[in-house]
This record gives sequence, structure tokens and C-alpha cells, in this order.
Amino acid sequence: MELYDKIIQMMQEGEEEEVVALVKECLSEGRDVQEIINKGLIAAMDIIGKKFRKGEMFFPEVMLSATCMHAGMKILRPYFNASNKKQSAKFIIGTVAEDVHDIGKNLVAMNLGAAGFEVIDLGTDVSPEKFVQAVKEHNPKILGMSALLTTTMPHMKETIMAIDSAGLRKKNKKLKIMVGGAPVDQEFADEIGADFYGNDAMEAVTIAKSIVTRKGK
Amino acid sequence: MVGNKFNPLSEEEIELIHSYSLKVLEEVGIKVKDCSAYEVFKKNKAITNGDLVKIPRSMVLDALESTPSKVVLYGRQQRHTLELKGREVHLGTGGAALNVIDLDSKEPRKATLRDIMLLAKLVENLEYVDFYIRPVVAQDVPKEELDINKYYASMLGTTKHVMGSVYSIKSFHQVKKLASIIAGSLESLKKRPFISFITCWMRSPLALDPQATEIMMEIVKERLPVVLSSAPMAGSTAPITLGGCLVQIHAEILSGLVLSQLVNPGTPVIYGYVPSVANPISMDYLGGSAEFGLLNAGAVQLAAHFGLPNYSSAGLTDSKIPDAQAGIEKALSILQVAMAGGNYIHHAAGMLESMLTVSYAQYVIDNDMLGMVSRILKGIEINDNSLAFDVISKVGPGGNYISEKHTAKNLRKEYFFPKVMDRDLRKEWTAKGSQDLWQKANNRVKAILSSDQLPKIPEGVDFQIRKTFNILIKDIK
Repeated sequence: MELYDKIIQMMQEGEEEEVVALVKECLSEGRDVQEIINKGLIAAMDIIGKKFRKGEMFFPEVMLSATCMHAGMKILRPYFNASNKKQSAKFIIGTVAEDVHDIGKNLVAMNLGAAGFEVIDLGTDVSPEKFVQAVKEHNPKILGMSALLTTTMPHMKETIMAIDSAGLRKKNKKLKIMVGGAPVDQEFADEIGADFYGNDAMEAVTIAKSIVTRKGK
Repeated sequence: MVGNKFNPLSEEEIELIHSYSLKVLEEVGIKVKDCSAYEVFKKNKAITNGDLVKIPRSMVLDALESTPSKVVLYGRQQRHTLELKGREVHLGTGGAALNVIDLDSKEPRKATLRDIMLLAKLVENLEYVDFYIRPVVAQDVPKEELDINKYYASMLGTTKHVMGSVYSIKSFHQVKKLASIIAGSLESLKKRPFISFITCWMRSPLALDPQATEIMMEIVKERLPVVLSSAPMAGSTAPITLGGCLVQIHAEILSGLVLSQLVNPGTPVIYGYVPSVANPISMDYLGGSAEFGLLNAGAVQLAAHFGLPNYSSAGLTDSKIPDAQAGIEKALSILQVAMAGGNYIHHAAGMLESMLTVSYAQYVIDNDMLGMVSRILKGIEINDNSLAFDVISKVGPGGNYISEKHTAKNLRKEYFFPKVMDRDLRKEWTAKGSQDLWQKANNRVKAILSSDQLPKIPEGVDFQIRKTFNILIKDIK
């Protein structure tokens, strides 16, 4: 079996040590780092994402695959050159004010990292002011917000209003705002003026990827 | 899969029932009229008086000694092997229903030979249905052609074990020949019998059906696996009390045990305890009653106590459509009999309206239920891995288990995942068209039936069979 096929298989099975060994084998054969990432690690995550959406893989299994992805990336990072670094889009993520639930937010962050995003995680109980400040500082492609409680959902709207009154979406036309979390749905996202809604941690990644690959918008 | 988790009877109660059953055989006897079984009983020291045969307990004890406590049934693939012994549980189809709920119109229509093949194809693809008893009577086939055609239609659809009844000794020999051609020879068929027979030799209360008994004795002489099925109804053909019903059915079964072991000692017999309940309003069959499941669970316990490989019933409902009543009645009876350890539980999928109707969708729904039942029988595994101290300590207070290797690696073996039960969030469910279970099951049926599958009978064998018999199914798709 081709080494990349083996990586893809071992990632699906969540065998971290195997994935690390295979990535090292690729390096020792002198393969291109970007090729290892694209044809091995990212190709695997794509397949895994599709299987998850079809109900053929379960969420904890996907998370285990993402762990393998991180382990593989860790081996490859020292070999990155300038062109590799340029590729990753920034994604700011955080749980909104007064909400300390971070499991879902962390899963999204981890999957985004596995998909090649540079994730800036602001943690939990993030006030609108903190979000605004972070956007100014990092100038990300995407800002993602999470809320678990129906009582903290309104802070998403407040944050969006704060972003807009600071003129950040106007100034940076590429900045998109994404929301998610158990009680959030598309209707709510539309109502508060968010650009995108992700139903789960896998969909969040699919949407984020489609945002950065979209040209000119 | 092992039951032995539900015991409606105590050991003392089993012995008490048994002693009354022996007393019934000794003092009341069974009626044997116009049947060569009469001579067999008479020659072997049973007490005969007119049509009555009284069986002394010593004869029963001898027969209990000689009957095998294990019967192995095979499929045409190794993985479909079924060991009927102890409290081993196998679940499959049953019935001789007249109607099928049509997939498209959702209305009942008359069952055909093609339904037997398509239902077999469906069952071949249902993960938790272990064997195939032809579920319907094909009403488009003349009686003389029926047995050979229903067995062949079944085997065209599934490689799982196929069981059915035969209406004459002649058609038994035809079916035997059919199966021998598929097996390669009669010897290899007997070595790994992938078909078997049901005989309703008992006409309750306590009277032999002469023709079915002759057929049963012929099969026993051939040493092919056969079910001796007795199906008294409490309140009409058995006492209305559940205890009395069990006394009678156990006596009936023991008389068949004695007869089969006199005809051919050591022959593999499956003891068909199918106690049922009469509807005290119409005197019709009440398959979905709580008592039905309870009676069958008790009967299975009785059989297991005496080491008799058994056949029982669960999964009937008196509902006419796949609805909540069907779900409740089926689940309760199947769970009772499976937890009691029924070796060969038929009617476990597809049945509606007691035994009158089957529904394609219902097989798919019941398959999910059987999966749940299997999961329940597996119980709670206790070992170092499952007790999970290492991961508890790794995650620690305030963490979570979602991304842990222990979670991902144990998830599939610890949980059962149904195919059609709805688990979506409401928004997903709505987006998919707000389908109910019936519709979702119909979708799965259509996906299975429209899928291309390898022919179940090799071309050359099929050719030989069609040359030998009048096979009415031409289109095997």
C-alpha cells in the first residue's frame, strides 16, 4: 500500500503512533512536506469528514483522528518553509460573555487546527470588547463564537454589534462571523447578523474552508 | 448470545409442572387415530385403549436420555451456523401469513411466491435476523408445486438457514432432493443441514394430527432436523390458566419426544413449544398479549431445564400496521423470550395482525429492535478496560471524555447503533422530510431490494434444479 494510503487508514483508525511513524518514513524518503500534508494528513481528514457526515464515523473517532493529525503536524512543523506558513488562515474563536462552556468550542478549535487553520483561542467568558480587540490585533479571516446557554446567546448579538460599530466588517471585507453551539440555529444566526452558522464541529470546518477558498468575496 | 436472564418459573415450579405433565400422559393419554404412530407406541409398551395411548413415565425418561441436547442448524455460509442448546438465543422470521403490506400503497394484498424470494433477500441483509422461515403462503402457486417452490424461492434470496413445512411425504422427499442437489449430495446435506422442517404434528389438546405425524416420522427416519410444533391456545385448546397451559403443552411435547426417539433414537429434534392465548371475545389468536410472551418464556425455561433444544414464538402483535402498539407488543414478548434463552425464536421479525400479515417495513424496524435485544443480552462487560480507571484519572475532575482514545476505541463495541430509529435533532429530522419510522424503514427496504447482489445459487446448480423441478420463479432480481 502507498504510504499516503497507510496514513489515511491509520488516521481513520486513530492510531497516533502509526501515523507518526509513517510521517517520519515519508520524511526519510525525502518527500515534500506540503505533499505529505495534502496527500496524507489533509486527505485523511477530508475522508473522515465525509464519513462523519454520512454517519459512518462517530464524533469521538473524528476527534481521535484530529489528535493524530496534530501529532503528524508536530513532526512536520520544523520542516516548514515560508511558503507553507503563508497558507494558513487565521481563525479567532471564543465562548461568549458569561458562558464558561468550552467543550464544543475546543472541539471546533481542534478540528480547525487539524484542517490547517491558525487558531487564536480566546477561551471562555469573552466580552464583546475582548473580541473587538483581538480582531483588531490579529486581523483574522473568520471570527467564531460559541454559546451553550440560551441566556448567554444574546451576547453573540452584542458582540456582532460591537464589531460592526467599530467598523471592522466594513474595513476588512474578508472578515466573516460564524456562530455555533447547542441552542443556536440558522434562524438565530440570520437574526443577529452572523455570516455563517455551523451545526457541529465538522460542519464548522467545512464552512470555514469554503470561506477561505472563496475568491474575491 | 445467551439468555438465562429471565426465569418466570422457579425450579420447584418446573418440577411440579413436569410431574403433572407426566401424570397427564399416564392417566389421560393422547389420541392417536389412523396413524402408524399408534403401532409404534403399542409395540413399545405404551398402554393402548381404543384411540387412546397412555405413556408411562419410564418411556419419557428413556426418551429424555436418548434425545440430543444440542441441534446444529447451518446456513450456506459458515457464519450462519446456529447452535440450539442450553440458553443460546437465535431470532428469526416465522409465519404462514396470507397478506403482505404493499411497499408503495401501504395496504394489505395477497402474498405471492415472489414475496418469499424478496423477503428472503431482505432478511439476508438484516443483521440481526438469524434464520428464515418462509413467512407467507404464496397464493399464486398450486398446492402440489408449493413446497419445492417456496424452499427454492427462499434459497434464491438468502444463504441463512431456511425452514418450512411440507404438506406431504412426497413433497418432503422432493425438498430433500432439491437441497441435496445444492449440497452436492444427501450425505453432505445431512452433515450440514442448511434446511429443516416444521411439523404441526399435535392437534391440541392431546391429539395427534395423523398426516403431519406421518410426515414427522418420515423426516425423523431420515435424520434431518425437524421441529415438533405444538401450539395450544389458552382458553380454547388449553386451560385458560397459564400454569395449566404449560402442563398440557409440556405433556404434548413429551409425547412427541417419546415418539421421535422410538422411531429413530438419537435423531436431532427441535422441541416446538408455541403456547398461545385465545382472545376471549372472538376466540381468535392473541399474539400480542403480555401473557403470550410470558407463556413462551416459561416454556423455554421448561425446555432448557430438560436439555431440549427448543423452538418458540415472540414478536407477534395484534396491530394491523407498524405503529406504537406493534412496537410495544413485539418488544415486550421478544425481550421476555430472548431473556429466557429461547434457542430458536420465530415470528421475531415482520409479523402484523398476529400471524395473518407481514410487512416489508416491519422486518427492517424489527431488525433494529432485535439489535437492541442482542445488546441487552450481551449485558454489562466488566474488566479493566471497561472499568476505565486509567482514563478517569487521565481526564481528571472537570475534563471531558469526548476526545479520549478510550472513548473512540470502545464506542463501537460498547454501543448498538440502530439503522432506522430516529436520533436526529429536530432541525435535521425536519430537513430530511419529517419522516416517520414506517417511511424510513420503507426507504431501507427499497435500498436493499434494489441493490445488486451475487446470485445465491450457482448457475450450473440452478440449471440442474430447473431441469429437475418445475421452478416457477424465472426472474431472480
